[in-house]
Amino acid sequence: MKTTCKRLAAACVAVLAALSLPACGERKTAELELFAMDTYMSFTAYGNRAEEALAEAGRTINELEQRLSRTREGSEIWTLNAQGCADISPDTAELIGQALAYAAQTGGAFDITVAPLVELWGITTDTPRVPAKAEIDALLPLVGSKHLTLTRSDPALTVFDTAVLDPGCAVDLGGIAKGYAADRVADILEKYGVSDAVASLGGNVYVRGTRPDGTPWRVAIQDPLQNGCAAMLTLSDTFVVTSGGYQRFFADPDGTIYQHILDPATGYPVQSDLLSVTVVCPDGARADAYSTALYVMGEAKAASFWQSCQAEVEPFEMVLITADHRIVCTSGLADNFTEQEDASYAYEILAH
Amino acid sequence: MPTRSSPIKYRPTVWDALIAAAIIALGLLAAVLFYTKNARGGSAIVTVSVAGEVAERAALSQFDGDHVYTGNGYTLTVSAHDGEIFVSHSDCGGQDCVHTGAISRIGQSIVCLPAQIVIRLESASPGDADVIVG
Ligand SMILES: [Zn+2]
Repeated sequence: MKTTCKRLAAACVAVLAALSLPACGERKTAELELFAMDTYMSFTAYGNRAEEALAEAGRTINELEQRLSRTREGSEIWTLNAQGCADISPDTAELIGQALAYAAQTGGAFDITVAPLVELWGITTDTPRVPAKAEIDALLPLVGSKHLTLTRSDPALTVFDTAVLDPGCAVDLGGIAKGYAADRVADILEKYGVSDAVASLGGNVYVRGTRPDGTPWRVAIQDPLQNGCAAMLTLSDTFVVTSGGYQRFFADPDGTIYQHILDPATGYPVQSDLLSVTVVCPDGARADAYSTALYVMGEAKAASFWQSCQAEVEPFEMVLITADHRIVCTSGLADNFTEQEDASYAYEILAH
Repeated sequence: MPTRSSPIKYRPTVWDALIAAAIIALGLLAAVLFYTKNARGGSAIVTVSVAGEVAERAALSQFDGDHVYTGNGYTLTVSAHDGEIFVSHSDCGGQDCVHTGAISRIGQSIVCLPAQIVIRLESASPGDADVIVG
């Protein structure tokens, strides 16, 4: 009978433990919701100074928006586009420098100088339209990194403080600014010693440390075809960004569907064999820029770009969802990847 | 498993069988509850926030019907039934919130940028997504 009692006790403990799983630790939790950079952002952080950290993150994002917005009159980017030249803050200089580097790496598949065409299509407005081919061809020569230069007003300066743009050209940082903001949020959390946090800046996700139960964060990838998720990634200390045509699109009066990501080479919305691209890497701005670039490239080029980056100093991982209903996950994510049973995709691993 | 010579020889009793059966039954019940809750947003919490402040938080199952929220000069009607929730009417410019359609799964959200209104489905269950990317 003694043995039975012991077993009963052990069973009770096990059942109680199972029932109390959602219980949280004693650490402080801070939450912040924010509308900035034309999107919705939410942050949850755990730690003694989490509240302070998120307050500073909010201030920093608002400051970044005031400098980087293309549409906000008087911003550094607005001034650059309006006058062809602008004094820029160290943040803006760093971000433009990164954008130019990613444009070079991706062969122009990501390009912040595509702005005149974005404007022509009215992509970010409530009234998008299909321009005439002649209008597009007239603007195509204005696209390209060669039209944008960072300079120093004083040769003694160690950082760039001036940006110069060729006549007629324009810059839009929409494809990288949220990723850069996520990088800054990560820096701030580090500064305040916040060990665990999850942040979503309009779909640019940053996960730090673990969930309150000590397991990695669970990041679901939206199913581009239906309500629900296509896959689950369990991740810590990294950035995750998805790009896909399904996120924003419009229909021409003739019924043709145009999605919102333009191919800088053609000036037309991308006709991709991909539905979405998710990039996972330890740099937010790079994840943001690459996700757009890989979507523009399409499956074959994206796969070879991934291969070529593995040999270099800055590898990244990705999940491609293809138009023919496959989910291609790179080998570095294989252990972090869970299929969704109710999603109708075939799953593949892309190896080196 | 190597054991030391034990003075007690163990022989299963009726009690053991009963306890084992009870534990299995409890486990099954827990599993059934867990999966039925998570298949759809049965245990989901609806959070509606306006300009970053929580305006309402309720169990999805108790949220049925129409709810009106105003933010930034715009008015949204949020409707819920059968475990689904959607913006049935809005006077905002882009109508993105209306076009989002119905959400029913934990982690999903509807965002109206002009009105700065967000409707989210949340859960404390460990098996659910913390964040959705895409
Ligand atoms: Zn709306």
